[in-house]
Amino acid sequence: MNESDETKFDEELTRLAAALPTQVSPDRDLWPAIEQAINTPAGRANTIWNTPWAQAAAVVLLVAGSSGITYVAVRDDGPVSPVVIDTANVFETVSGDFGRKYTLGNQYLDAHSELQNELDEKMQFLSPEARQVVTKNLQTIRAAIKDINQALAAEPGNMLLQELLLSAYHGEISLMRKVDGIANSAMRRNDI
Amino acid sequence: MDAILATGTQGMTREALPVTQQIGSEAALVERAQRADSAAFEALYRMHIDKVYGLCLRMTGIAAEAEDCAQEAFIQAWSKLDKFRGDSAFGTWMHRVAVNTVLGRMRKSKREHDRLQAVSDVMNAPDSIGDSSSIQDLEEAMNNLPRGARHVFVLHAVYGYSHDETGGMLGIAAGTSKAQLHRAKRLLAQQLDKDE
Repeated sequence: MNESDETKFDEELTRLAAALPTQVSPDRDLWPAIEQAINTPAGRANTIWNTPWAQAAAVVLLVAGSSGITYVAVRDDGPVSPVVIDTANVFETVSGDFGRKYTLGNQYLDAHSELQNELDEKMQFLSPEARQVVTKNLQTIRAAIKDINQALAAEPGNMLLQELLLSAYHGEISLMRKVDGIANSAMRRNDI
Repeated sequence: MDAILATGTQGMTREALPVTQQIGSEAALVERAQRADSAAFEALYRMHIDKVYGLCLRMTGIAAEAEDCAQEAFIQAWSKLDKFRGDSAFGTWMHRVAVNTVLGRMRKSKREHDRLQAVSDVMNAPDSIGDSSSIQDLEEAMNNLPRGARHVFVLHAVYGYSHDETGGMLGIAAGTSKAQLHRAKRLLAQQLDKDE
């Protein structure tokens, strides 16, 4: 292509590009999904999702996800004996405690203590790598719990924070139960 | 789009208005939307969706991704409406929001190569241009451009933004925009020449 051809092509390209349609209709109406999104409480700026507590929510989700990964990473293909714990009532709100409005019920604390003892005992059956992953996850989730607790002290009536805290406690218990089940399985295999 | 929703309600009644009235209506709709009137925002959506979707489609090259981008752009716009001061037209501001949305999603995603549906499959060439095969060839060739070159070509050559404006939208210098345009043209020339 010589210089003259190049100029000609350039002009033709410019003409064609400018003639391309700039408006295209999507195949479906996007409004219903948009309407749903903007009518949720988080649809506007300056919502709680812009506060530092949203970071705590992200941590909880992250930990929940990573707990699943931990489970997949350290699980054994053999049968796993689930630890039967009633988690429906692991969290209770108790007024006048906590320097804040919320604290943990005795049932949760008992279950937590029992699980922690079992966890400490059975972590030895996991590989060093798996132990490290579990420990790291537990540290992360406990840091999130601490952050949410502090946030609740400042905003005791915040429903989102209450839900986050509940979710975080559930996440912790869930992770501990998984490790317990995995370790049980590992023990059986080693016994054989 | 020649028509505009007159009321902004969900009744979907469209009524053609003169341009001056449309501008006036748009300003009023923006004002209402800024006061969290979602019906007014729906009217703005109906007025601008084709432009926003068209831009998203050209920038992403994927119909499904373009729909997601357009949807997200309007959600973003709703949440940032209080920042819109009317210094530019609402459509221009929406374009910026859409470009930012596309760039943000592309940064997060590596799906660009998974082109589910080529632009040329969903674009309708305008009847006023006789050389429709050239248009279609150009659509396909644009779709094969590298991301940076395509974005500049779309904003500058198709949508008519200056290099300063294009650079501002894409977060690059005007000189880089010029260089990318040159690159885009060179690559298009190679492709179109090869196709002939």
